[in-house]
Amino acid sequence: MTGVAAFAAWLGAAMIVLADGRRGLALGIGLVAVGFTAIAWAGGVWLGGAFLLAGGAVAVIELLRSGPQDWGLMPAGSTPRLILAVAAAILSLWMAASVTTGPGASLRFASLAVLGLTAARLLQSKAAAPALTGAAGLAIALASASELSPNHPGFAPYLIAAVIAAGALLLPAARSNGA
Amino acid sequence: MEPELAIGLPAVGAVITALLHPRPRAALVAGAVLGAAGIAAVLLAAPGLVSDQLGVSLSLSAMSRALLLAAAASLALIVAFPPPRADRSLLLTWGLAGIAGMAAIAAAPNLDDVILLTLAIALLHAAMGGRRPLAARLRAPALAVALLGAGLVFARLDGSQILARFAAIGLVAGLAAALGTLPYIHEFDPEELTATSPIAWIAFLGPILALAVITRAHELIPTAGAIFAAMLIGLGLLNVLWGGLASWLTEKGTSAWHYSFMADWGLALCAFGVLLVDGQAAAVLLLYGIVLSRLPLYLWSRQSMRESIQTDRPINLLAAAMLAGAAPFAGFAARLFLLRGATQLYWPLALVIGIGLLLWLPPSLRLGRSLGAPRGRQALGVGIALALSVAIGLYPQPILSLAGL
Amino acid sequence: MAWGEDVTLCPSYTLNSRMPSIALLAPVAIPLATAGAVAICGVAGWKIDRIVLAAGAWLAILALIALWAPVRSTQDLGLGQLGFSTPSELRLDAVGFAFGLMVLVPAAVLLTLQPRPWQEGTVAALAVAAAVLAVESGGVILTAVAGGAAATLAIVQLDVEDPKASRPPWGVLLAAWLALSWVGAILQVRSGTALYSAVPVSALTVPVFMLLAAAALIASGLYPWRGWASQLWGRPALRSAGLVVATLYPLGFYLLVRAYEMGDGRYPQSWMQAALAAIGVLVAFGAAVRAQGASTRREYLGEVIPGLGGFALIGISLGTPLGLVAGLATLAVAAVLAAGLPLLPDRAGPASLVVIAAAAGLPPGLAFGVRVLGLEAAFEAGNPLGLIGIGAAATWMVSIIAAARAVGLPAGRGHPASETKPRVAMGLAGATVIAGPALGLVLAVLATPAQAVVMPAPAGSTVGGLTSVVTVSTVLPALALFAPVLLLAVVGYIYGGTMSVRTQPRSPLFVLPGTDRLARLREEMRAATVPAQYRSLVDLRALEAAATGGGPLLWLAALVALAFAVTR
Repeated sequence: MTGVAAFAAWLGAAMIVLADGRRGLALGIGLVAVGFTAIAWAGGVWLGGAFLLAGGAVAVIELLRSGPQDWGLMPAGSTPRLILAVAAAILSLWMAASVTTGPGASLRFASLAVLGLTAARLLQSKAAAPALTGAAGLAIALASASELSPNHPGFAPYLIAAVIAAGALLLPAARSNGA
Repeated sequence: MEPELAIGLPAVGAVITALLHPRPRAALVAGAVLGAAGIAAVLLAAPGLVSDQLGVSLSLSAMSRALLLAAAASLALIVAFPPPRADRSLLLTWGLAGIAGMAAIAAAPNLDDVILLTLAIALLHAAMGGRRPLAARLRAPALAVALLGAGLVFARLDGSQILARFAAIGLVAGLAAALGTLPYIHEFDPEELTATSPIAWIAFLGPILALAVITRAHELIPTAGAIFAAMLIGLGLLNVLWGGLASWLTEKGTSAWHYSFMADWGLALCAFGVLLVDGQAAAVLLLYGIVLSRLPLYLWSRQSMRESIQTDRPINLLAAAMLAGAAPFAGFAARLFLLRGATQLYWPLALVIGIGLLLWLPPSLRLGRSLGAPRGRQALGVGIALALSVAIGLYPQPILSLAGL
Repeated sequence: MAWGEDVTLCPSYTLNSRMPSIALLAPVAIPLATAGAVAICGVAGWKIDRIVLAAGAWLAILALIALWAPVRSTQDLGLGQLGFSTPSELRLDAVGFAFGLMVLVPAAVLLTLQPRPWQEGTVAALAVAAAVLAVESGGVILTAVAGGAAATLAIVQLDVEDPKASRPPWGVLLAAWLALSWVGAILQVRSGTALYSAVPVSALTVPVFMLLAAAALIASGLYPWRGWASQLWGRPALRSAGLVVATLYPLGFYLLVRAYEMGDGRYPQSWMQAALAAIGVLVAFGAAVRAQGASTRREYLGEVIPGLGGFALIGISLGTPLGLVAGLATLAVAAVLAAGLPLLPDRAGPASLVVIAAAAGLPPGLAFGVRVLGLEAAFEAGNPLGLIGIGAAATWMVSIIAAARAVGLPAGRGHPASETKPRVAMGLAGATVIAGPALGLVLAVLATPAQAVVMPAPAGSTVGGLTSVVTVSTVLPALALFAPVLLLAVVGYIYGGTMSVRTQPRSPLFVLPGTDRLARLREEMRAATVPAQYRSLVDLRALEAAATGGGPLLWLAALVALAFAVTR
């Protein structure tokens, strides 16, 4: 179950990397939020998971509510991005399953993959919406990764991440024309 | 309740000042009162005492308290003696928002919260508008967050020992990216407003963020502590060299100032890497210099740089001496501590640092002259900044005691 | 005292029934207050700043004498923990008193007699305060801070007066005081303290002393080549130049004298005495060579202080009580001349004649007496120091020739008449000549007590009394010998009549081989640029653009480089 959730999170991050359109970005952030929420709930972090889901939902709604509605999936010249998404998955899987030990391999995989991919999206994007969506995904991944700590981090990281995810796409700059 | 108030009062002050912007005087009064109340809460907060009023354990360490006070003093100086044609209520708004963010970072219970708060601040900062597009403004801080996050993740993974080293790399690189030092220099537009430029990261938010990351890093990666410190020193020396030379040789005056901040940060990173009390003392004094001396002088020099005015009056030369870390200013005391700490650690490091310190002079003369001929309130502000620096340089004990050293 | 141990000194207590030790702050506080008062007068438009400056400077001298004279023994004032990890203290002993006078007296003369804008006056007063603090400090750290402040203020003074005229390289001066602060840091690390009276001898190792000596030499510009102390005399105005020499020049020597205290009367290795003395000869010889090749009298006078400095360095470095006494007395003479030289107008006349005679060390002047003592001390020290004495004697001969030649040189570019006082300059120089027979008294009041603090002499030996100076092998009856010479000189001056001197350019006596080549090499290095065909390799603009462009590739590459470096 957590494996599927982790895969969904990776898929969402990959969508964020590959999509230039708001619908594609919405699907991506939605998958990221759902994936990490499932992981959190599987770990018994109910409140944190709820926060992530709420934040992700607001982000999705805002992306679908305003701006031009197109998918923009894998536009021309996006082969390097595809390679990046696949390579990130392989590398993260290797780190989570082979290099590191202990329970929570799904969380490790999802955190590393989403961190890397959203960071790459932020570095590469020139438009506001993909950058802000990447930031939202980054926040959700960071909050979930806090569960890797030996001490329970409380609800604060999840709350902050939810606020970031929701608020990022509410910023005025997010409503720019184009993706 | 003090940590909560230390965050909440400046935040509310920022909001109210923004709302009252059409009535500047009311905005200033409201902002000043709430800001002062917030700083009072900082002062009253007992270092290390945890407060759990909002369900989150918040506490302020002695060093972060000291830096918050420095930031508040700097803001007060800049608002009381504003640069020509500056909107004071807007300065106060941004400043209070910055202090609220810094207080939140300082009080955060763990590094996860620190990193997330940094991301939130980065988003708000990028959304403030400016000459550069949002994606460009967000790039470097977001990379910083990602690197810090990756470092944190690696620090918590069980497995090979190399993971701790990757964690150290992530934390150091993330810190450098957050500050905007070499090799992660933020894209810089010399014409951009200071509050929306990378100067806000390197000179205002940076000190408290660096403190938060570095103090927690030692607990997170005890096995890679030496490597972490070595990287800080290495990056620090690189920035000393780059900052000094670039500040001297670059064409634009504002870029020269930008690089001078990097040079100061280079020293501060070296100081943090010297894991002794003297190193920490040097770091505190250097950060005080950045926040209380260099940042206000930069703001006061912007107008004369636009008008390409360069003067050689006593005040320009004294400012140059302060910026160069010459005696009796605070920078000299910081250098003394750094040399002592480096000598205890590894004396050739002290020699290298000492030689690097000589690079400060030519650019400092240039920067001092770019201050132009300050008049009226601005001259008074420069005088106060110089006097504060002399006081700290001759008698650093109160600052060090405040920082718990 | 263990490193890091918190030591709090007792609160100040009264050392004698009249003067609380807090009064030790007076020689520093008075110039500071004077600076503030001058600034207030200047801002308010009251034209009394020169009176305030003069009053403050002389009051500081009186305070210093009032503190020292009744007690004539070491007085301490604990300043508590300033934050430098050891208690800071002020200390007035014979060394501090002597150097304090060397700084304050010429400064007071110049501040009184030379009009200057209030901004310059404020900075000058601050510089005097910093220099006095440097010599009143009880430890290396506070000396470094105060000395560094004095150097900074000296630069500010010079730049405010004339930003285009030559001045000491700021970086070099800063390097000297940074080096000294590093010495202080090392002493604290090794022995837990950097207080002069508390540093154990074992802490002053060879490398530490070499660093201290380098700092001292650079701080005072003691180089065989033309240093800042002579370059300053080429400025169009000599207000700030005189003050800078008065406040900064003695500080390097102060460090070398205090090094004896830390080393229990000697430097860590005997070869260091010889090395420093040899440098002293080179400094003096360099000044003498430049003096005899000077094209104007101003240029010649610019080498007077460095020449005396060289002899002072010889004396101080010898490591014998007589040598130290001679060195300190030479510095005292240099201080008086430092007050007189800026007041001298650039024209021929009796004033410049007397100054030249005093500086050259013609008998029976003090400059003559201290040089004789210095040479005597060198010969008595023996071995390589004896050879150094021969070198010093030869240097003196060259400097006398240079002085004789300088009498007939054209005056120089001239500096504003308002800042000259030829009679005062003549009076000061004349005083050093007339005071020659009182050499014993000068030594007894200034130099010998200072020597006793840092270099205890063997039991039963003294450097002499008020009328004579006792050396190892002989006695110099200063009063008996010099007084008749003085009388003869006075008679000769009175009955000699006016002497007309035709000033004209004169060729130097000799030119040191290789100096042309050195000067050419220096010019070539200054004018060096990257050859045109290689400039594209060093395109700083492109490098800056690449570094600051916010390029993800550069950032990723940096990350990979970091990972590579750390995982090796």
